[in-house]
Amino acid sequence: MKQTCNAELWAEFESGEAALSAVRSLREQGFASLQAFTPYPLPELEEALGLPRPRLIPFLALVAASAGAGGSFVLMWWTAARDYPLNVGGRPLNSFVTDIPIMFESAVLCAALAIFFATLFCSGMPRLNHPLDRIAGFERTSIDRFWIGASLDRQDTGEALSRALTRLGAPRVHWHTGSGAE
Amino acid sequence: MTAGPVEPARLWPTPDFSAPADQVALLPRAQSDAELSAELLEKVLHPPRWLGTAIALTGACSAVLAACVVYTLLTGIGVWGNNIPVAWAFGITNFVWWIGIGHAGTFISAFLLLLEQRWRTSINRFAEAMTLFAVVQAGIFPLLHMGRAWFFYWLIPYPSTMGVWPQFRSSLTWDVAAVSTYLTVSFLFWYLGLIPDLAALRDYAPERWRRRLYAISALGWHGSATTWRTQRIAYGLLAALAAPLVVSVHSIVSMDFAIGVLPGWHSTIFPPYFVAGAIYSGFAMVLTLLIPARRLYRLEHLITTEHLDKMAKMLLVTGSLISYAYVVEIYLAWVGGDSFERHMLLWVRPRGPFAPLFWTVIACNCGSPLFLWSRRVRRSALCLFTLTLTIQLGMWLERLMLIITSLSADFLPTIAHGYRPTVIDGALLVGTLSFFLFLFLLFLRFVPFIPVSELKALQFELRGRQ
Repeated sequence: MKQTCNAELWAEFESGEAALSAVRSLREQGFASLQAFTPYPLPELEEALGLPRPRLIPFLALVAASAGAGGSFVLMWWTAARDYPLNVGGRPLNSFVTDIPIMFESAVLCAALAIFFATLFCSGMPRLNHPLDRIAGFERTSIDRFWIGASLDRQDTGEALSRALTRLGAPRVHWHTGSGAE
Repeated sequence: MTAGPVEPARLWPTPDFSAPADQVALLPRAQSDAELSAELLEKVLHPPRWLGTAIALTGACSAVLAACVVYTLLTGIGVWGNNIPVAWAFGITNFVWWIGIGHAGTFISAFLLLLEQRWRTSINRFAEAMTLFAVVQAGIFPLLHMGRAWFFYWLIPYPSTMGVWPQFRSSLTWDVAAVSTYLTVSFLFWYLGLIPDLAALRDYAPERWRRRLYAISALGWHGSATTWRTQRIAYGLLAALAAPLVVSVHSIVSMDFAIGVLPGWHSTIFPPYFVAGAIYSGFAMVLTLLIPARRLYRLEHLITTEHLDKMAKMLLVTGSLISYAYVVEIYLAWVGGDSFERHMLLWVRPRGPFAPLFWTVIACNCGSPLFLWSRRVRRSALCLFTLTLTIQLGMWLERLMLIITSLSADFLPTIAHGYRPTVIDGALLVGTLSFFLFLFLLFLRFVPFIPVSELKALQFELRGRQ
């Protein structure tokens, strides 16, 4: 039978400093593909984990902004100069300058919507339950606890990682079965 | 001695947060993450007793707004004091005033984020909520002023059987785009920053119904390092979009005037002049709400005198910009040589029938910020509170003056006409004030109004630099 669930190992740390030094030390010991959950953003921790810089969101923002500006210009040009030309004191029907404010606003609106929804999408949100919620005490992650863990290969028993985590000062280490943790 | 790498020259010095003075000023009480979270989340779970009464009271007063809106819709805007030629009057004054107030929130959030100003942390959510609710009030007035508000969707370009389209060469359609974009982007920006704290409330709240409510609003946030990174990048990008947006919105509002040919309106100084005025009145409103809130919630250790001082300095800067704009506006009229402009700016406003209005505006907007040169005034909550009320009155009167002087006395003396507001005009203004406070108190009741996770991150950062 094919195994669908991965085993994961999670350890709790009580301060950001401890979590940060633990990740640095684990990476030096050769443990790759670590993951972390923290109550507040820790840029140094992200660096230490070697997380890639998200390039999708800025790119989507650029595409959406261009589409917003271009689309609104086409709409204004078509309505004012083609479909419903209205002579206002002999002013040009297709006047790019008066289109600038709405083009700018549409660009910002589309880019902001793209950024917001792309962020939700990239973060796997919205979701109403999370496999790690089954670990007792995991809910304190949003308050003051830091969790570091990794998913284990099928052959890996996780003993080495568990020992390393305990040595680094983690009071609790949990084996957890289930997938879906980012 | 070894020669280390030479530091590249910088345009301005990087603020040095290793100095303990800064930490003491911004976060004077060292608290653990748990204590800080508990303190701020408890404020939402166990609100002070006065809050319920205040919500009920402002809710009841908001009924005045509802009644006036219904009366205006059923009868028509003839119940306002507007006339021809003074067709804008209170409605647009209130619109511009509320939109202006709405500028400080996003300014604090976006500009100060991009400039890495640490002091924005404890006040940004508060200021942004104020923005959202102020823009909601602002939106009421143009809708009502249309007379037949139920046709508002005609402003949106959609293919209709009538075969007509909105006129995009008019600044009024720009207004629609600017205000709706501003409301949407401000909301997204605010919400994106709020999600981690809603998750904290979900995990902290004891009652089941609250946990459910906050679980749904937090959209399943779990705070993985990857999510934090994505959120921070997105937040920074939104800030970079919101910063020029703040400038654009009031510039576009000012073009409602500047594109017109009326004397006193047709001036290129309007966009920067309006943006400065907007941020000025917005900072005043933030302080008006913040000073009582920080006292009533006992948050003096998070919203410190240093925060008040910095905001007072912003008031001083924007107040000086406004004073400069007044001088330039008059100078341009004088040097431009247009006799109608000269008549408006050199006679009608300062010496004509509207002189008391003009000089009150000057006293409130140019005179009162001068007190802020004094450090003692900047650091006294009571003095600041009084000054901010004066400034808001001044900014409201300024918009009223701009609108009614130019409209009531334009080119033809034969159509000159005075203006007198009605009771409904006044009641609408008071009604929006109550409704604004009502929404704001609801925000204090249900949302962690000081960004908990951002404060914890700031504390971590300051700890690391010590």
